[in-house]
Amino acid sequence: MVDPIFDYQFRLILIGDSTVGKSSLLKYFTDGKFAELSDPTVGVDFFARIIEVQDGTRIKLQLWDTAGQERFRSITKSYYRNSVGALLVYDVCNRSSFEHIPLWMMEAKRHIEPHRPVFALVGCKVDLVGTDNKIGARREVSCEEARLFAEENGLHHVETSAKTGLNVEEAFVLVAQEVYNRIQTGEYKVEDGWDGIKTGFNRPNGMDFNLLEAETVQSTCC
Amino acid sequence: MPSSDSEDFESADEGRNSPSKKERKKRLSSSNYSDNLEFDLETKKDAPLAKSNPKDVAKSVDGWDDFDINEEAESSTKNISGKANVIKSDTKPTSVLNTNAKSEIQPEKSQDTGWDDFDDWGDTETSCNIKEDQLKPQSEKKHSNIKDVTERLAAASTKNEGWGWGWGVDSIFSTATAGISTLTSQVSQGISTVLETSIGAPDPEELARKSKDVHSQQTLSKEPSIEKPQFDISKNTDNETSFQFGSLISEVTKFVETTGTKVLAGGLDTLETIGKKTMEVLQDGDPGLAKKRAMLGLDPADKPVLSQVLREAKAKAEEEDRIREQKREAKEVHYESLFDDFEGLVHLEALEMLSRQVSMRIDERLRSVDPSKRQDIKETLQQVAELCEMPDDDEEEEMEESGDMSKPDALHERLLASTRDIGLKMQYQPLIKQYTETLEWLSSDPDLTEKAIYKRAVSSLAQATAFSVEVYHKTAEMLLVKPRRSTADEADALTQMTVVLTKHIGDIATLFTEKLNSITSEDKEQVNSHITNIFLEADNSSKYIQNAFHLALPIIQIGAV
Repeated sequence: MVDPIFDYQFRLILIGDSTVGKSSLLKYFTDGKFAELSDPTVGVDFFARIIEVQDGTRIKLQLWDTAGQERFRSITKSYYRNSVGALLVYDVCNRSSFEHIPLWMMEAKRHIEPHRPVFALVGCKVDLVGTDNKIGARREVSCEEARLFAEENGLHHVETSAKTGLNVEEAFVLVAQEVYNRIQTGEYKVEDGWDGIKTGFNRPNGMDFNLLEAETVQSTCC
Repeated sequence: MPSSDSEDFESADEGRNSPSKKERKKRLSSSNYSDNLEFDLETKKDAPLAKSNPKDVAKSVDGWDDFDINEEAESSTKNISGKANVIKSDTKPTSVLNTNAKSEIQPEKSQDTGWDDFDDWGDTETSCNIKEDQLKPQSEKKHSNIKDVTERLAAASTKNEGWGWGWGVDSIFSTATAGISTLTSQVSQGISTVLETSIGAPDPEELARKSKDVHSQQTLSKEPSIEKPQFDISKNTDNETSFQFGSLISEVTKFVETTGTKVLAGGLDTLETIGKKTMEVLQDGDPGLAKKRAMLGLDPADKPVLSQVLREAKAKAEEEDRIREQKREAKEVHYESLFDDFEGLVHLEALEMLSRQVSMRIDERLRSVDPSKRQDIKETLQQVAELCEMPDDDEEEEMEESGDMSKPDALHERLLASTRDIGLKMQYQPLIKQYTETLEWLSSDPDLTEKAIYKRAVSSLAQATAFSVEVYHKTAEMLLVKPRRSTADEADALTQMTVVLTKHIGDIATLFTEKLNSITSEDKEQVNSHITNIFLEADNSSKYIQNAFHLALPIIQIGAV
């Protein structure tokens, strides 16, 4: 169970072709585990984890793990709107999954409008690179190429492995920190009717506690 | 909200919030048990759990007779607290307490000249409360002061948990008591002895006058310091006869904790001051307290029993602690946050998005279709909706006792049977697994506490509901990508499934309430309160499930049109 004390909740969505490793990435991030085999996602699944950004603010990441399969495309697009961040996920050993990234990004932009989400380009399965005797295990997307694309489009880029855990944490922290920074600069704010960013469960409700404590202090001053 | 979704996009959330979403939001943002309150306002009234309800507090504060006080005082206190409630129709804990405090002091007051004395106190009070008025003529000060006090009193009684009065009598009491309660009972016995026999204790009136004198001097010489009460505190600790309301807390605490004599001199002083202050407030509009005294039937010759005030303040502080603790516990068994933790809320939300998107598609189809066919479509939609109506009275679900099958297996069987014709591979494992675990937990430890059972009950209900909602969400998604739709079967299957799931929720609630009834507990009231809440949460759970089913309706409907 998730510790309920957090300051903000950010909703992030993971999109990308099927079998690139979105669910595995999330499983590692939230569970610290890697599953060799997993069923394809139906529609959307949910994960959650609390992290801290640089100033110690606690952020609950609510992660929407969308199905990559084509047949769910019409459904998953209904889930974009309330996201404040989108992780564009591809498989470094699958060229076409990278080539579809611009389409995924366009789709996300279109559905998240008028909000402008934080994007991150996340390459998966780097652990497979190097064991290139096996089929499908040769790197098909170079790091430089991906980085270049990311720079051109103003995205963060990171290569990960849900098997070794490499950069998994970083990928999410990167996005969370960026969202948080944009809150600090006033670019993002909590809006009624939009669930991309919400304030923590405990903030408004916890007020009575703060009041009680503050009251004792306050009453020393007439 | 922003409305610039691109026209072609059926972004499910588009457009205005649906009422249900708003409702859910509201629930989310409100405090403990709000969901119950919202759903079950009527029933909730009887629920003993309204912890934050000021009335309850007042009620329990009333029970002062539990406290070990001397017989003489006992009867009068009962009297006072009972009547005080009558006088102050808005029975706030604060006002009740104050009334009591006042009444204790009042007779002693009357031995004096009365008004003059209050004037003095008014001045003292002014010097610490009203910064701007320091240099104004005394009479004017007094006037504004009284007004000020009245206003504050009003403020305090209207908003219960706010800052209340500037000098926060109730927090003074509670802090003072906190300090005092760290002492042994001997000390407080000592206090009461002294008080009641008046041995060695300086005459409070005398002290008060001294205090006032010192004060007015201080005030004249250095009025800016009033802005910084901390400064005063440090000064005043040396001077036992002089203190300000602002420094009461630290004074009381320090005095009580350090020396016995100081307790008597300073602590009692302080309490005297509080009492007088309260008196003054009470007396407003009732000079000499003639009316109130008459109502209370107090003998004017009664000696003040300040120990009584201490005891009552202690009782109040304990009560507050208890409430605070309950609140914390309540958060741990907060259904809504548990439901959220189990991803129930987000599944419901996603289902809502789908539902809205599909509804829009249906509307779109209705708009674009030939008017002659429109009526047909509407009828079809209506028929599907009727298929999805829940059977009204639980037709005693022919409880076919599933032989030697375990309860979870039986549940699995019923769920699978209900959705046999839906044409999808349904996943009930999480529900079954949770049910198994719940049953194991309940039978594992014979020495479960009522609190543990209650916590687990709420958590189990929230989890079962979250899993159920997830089933609806997943089913809706799969139905939408299902190649061949069979609307009637789907409608029937989901209706049956809803019946099974709501019954399952009821079973869980019953399991836990039976367990609660089976344990021996000295606090029967608490157990009953838990049982009531478990049923309330179960009802809540059923509503979530039916809500999810309702959201799935357009998804079933669209298969037919």
